[in-house]
Amino acid sequence: MRRRPMARRLSLLLTGLIAGGGLLSGCSRGDQSASGAVNLKEGVPVGAVLALSGNANVYGQDQRVGLNLALTAVNGSGGINGTPLRLAIEDSGSDDPGANAAMTLQINRGMLAIIGPTLSQQAFAADPIAQRRGVPVVAPSNTATGIPQIGHFISRVSAGSGVIAPLSIAKALQLNPGIRRAAVFYAQDDAYSTAETVVFQKALSDRGLKPITVQRTNLADSDFQSQISSTLALKPDLIVLSLQGVDGGNLVRQLRELGYRGTIVVGNGMNTPNIYPICQKYCDGLLIAQAYSPELATPANRAFVQAFSKAQAAGGKGTLIPPQLTAQAYTALQVVAEALQRLDKRKPLKGLSAAAARTALMDEILGGIYQTPLGEIRFTPEGEVVQKDFFVAQVRMNPGGRSGRFALLP
Amino acid sequence: MADLTQLLLNGLSIGAVYALFALGYTLVFSVLGVINFAHGAVFTLGAYFTYLLIGGAVGANGLLAGLQLPLALPFWLALPLAGLAAAAVALVIERIAFRPLRDQGADPLLALITSLGAGVVLVNLIQLLVGAESYAIPTTALAGLPPAIRLLGAQVRTVQLLLLLVAAALLAVLSLWIDGSRSGKALRAVAEDPTTAQLLGIPSGRMIQIAFGLSGFLAGIAGGLVGLSVSIAGPYFGIGYGLKGLGVLVLGGLGSVPGAVLGGLIIGIAEACVPAELSGYRDVVAYGFLFVVLLVRPQGLLGRVLPTKV
Repeated sequence: MRRRPMARRLSLLLTGLIAGGGLLSGCSRGDQSASGAVNLKEGVPVGAVLALSGNANVYGQDQRVGLNLALTAVNGSGGINGTPLRLAIEDSGSDDPGANAAMTLQINRGMLAIIGPTLSQQAFAADPIAQRRGVPVVAPSNTATGIPQIGHFISRVSAGSGVIAPLSIAKALQLNPGIRRAAVFYAQDDAYSTAETVVFQKALSDRGLKPITVQRTNLADSDFQSQISSTLALKPDLIVLSLQGVDGGNLVRQLRELGYRGTIVVGNGMNTPNIYPICQKYCDGLLIAQAYSPELATPANRAFVQAFSKAQAAGGKGTLIPPQLTAQAYTALQVVAEALQRLDKRKPLKGLSAAAARTALMDEILGGIYQTPLGEIRFTPEGEVVQKDFFVAQVRMNPGGRSGRFALLP
Repeated sequence: MADLTQLLLNGLSIGAVYALFALGYTLVFSVLGVINFAHGAVFTLGAYFTYLLIGGAVGANGLLAGLQLPLALPFWLALPLAGLAAAAVALVIERIAFRPLRDQGADPLLALITSLGAGVVLVNLIQLLVGAESYAIPTTALAGLPPAIRLLGAQVRTVQLLLLLVAAALLAVLSLWIDGSRSGKALRAVAEDPTTAQLLGIPSGRMIQIAFGLSGFLAGIAGGLVGLSVSIAGPYFGIGYGLKGLGVLVLGGLGSVPGAVLGGLIIGIAEACVPAELSGYRDVVAYGFLFVVLLVRPQGLLGRVLPTKV
């Protein structure tokens, strides 16, 4: 008897939730953002979808710095032909539903282009939404195979892992030609990791180094004792990781603590100074291929490095050398801004519907040549970045093991 | 032999964390008959408290960006203090999420929801205050100790061994207290029947507070130790441990202290037994094992079948 009112209340609550959910999803149907004119009241609207919380937050934070620097640079030099650029950043968390929700929200807000999402895994989930709704996406950090192939509206400024990853393997073998036994780790539940490990494993096989073991982890893993014990029993002299920053940082620390002294090559997921507090002094010596060099002597990169150092110093931050993800995010917004400037000159934005502006903007993005911190870049008709210069760096930790730098190798 | 030792050490070290976590659940469940879903958030807080007490600075995000306490305690002092701070938070949770419902005689099921709400609020509060970035307790916290120790032919990280030892010590002290002390027996009496205990002069409300305080202390200690062993991967990092702790609680038997310990160690060893190449699937093995055990013994390994009261 006592439980009946409770059961009735619960079923009423559930019915209400389901009905409310239906109403809400009904409300979100239909793209009212596309049919109206571009809303320029507060500036030219561009959105970003970044992982600012969850496991991938280490990347989103680097990217946010880059976007804000680019925004300052663009608006400091006149915005989009006199109209300021307006950047709205949404946190996607580090999972697919978060990315989907943030992408949908930005599109519904009438953004002309989207920068993001941070992770390849999220891009595979959220980019099809932008593709269906005809909104240009410029990915600043997706390196998995197949991202630009999602559709016409999807492009990236981050070179694919197929181009970059083999460079670090080559460098590891150049530094230590005696390497004979390679072990591989990758996160099996992450699109970036699974794509990159294929490239790494092929690069190893091409050089006669068939991996002695391939260890599969999960993104949320933090304790790798069992896998490391098993791997070290096989006596590897090269370990190759395709992991994200947090799990990868923990694995590196545990590998070193358990006595591994050989070479470690890491993939793009660990291409951030935010790994330093995680693996600390044990980060020292990691080899990583990069699509960005702070030492690139071009006017665009010098201006970027200067702006970054100034902003970091003003904020009391220790890192004065910009990380790759910051440079790529800066580049992504620069590309969108320059494409908007060209489009606005040819067809003033205020006379266009959002849908027409988005379609025309995508053509402008793909058709341009850009002088960026990454060097000169352009795009293939498919949206893949074409970039000339790549580098290999080695992590050098400072005494105390709390900070360090990616030192470029010759 | 070395392989077996390695496997056991690997399993016991992670199992000890699960056991500590599940003990916190168990203490509250035994006196209230409900699961405190805010326990994972208290665990997370324990890790953050430890980080701050050893002199760690808050990162660039959050309202407290750049904050650094004007002290840098050694880890072994910071850890129990963090446990105490976590215990204080657990008491607040009891006060705002459990007691009002208990006072009104509400269905215990509702406390599940209020504790879940308290946990979500806490996690979001952490994110608001200190951001979502990862923090790590410096490896120098164990200065003077080698990073790994060789034991019977097996190699184990020193921090893992410490975790195992501290967990074992805490579990032993707790068991002795529950079985051998007057207040421990009072707690058991409240767990058996709070109304009768009250009639016998045992302050049930006070014993419930003690259970929450102890539960929070254990969660805080576990959070600090795990934070030392791996990084603090943002405000949500207690969630995974929370889910595993729930599994352990059920496997060992709801409300059973020895069951929580046994369940934790069994799950830890079961995970360690998964071949390394398949480690990505170890959760499947752990939960599959739990599923099979529950089919055979629905009350858990050391749980009791309570007779239905008419």
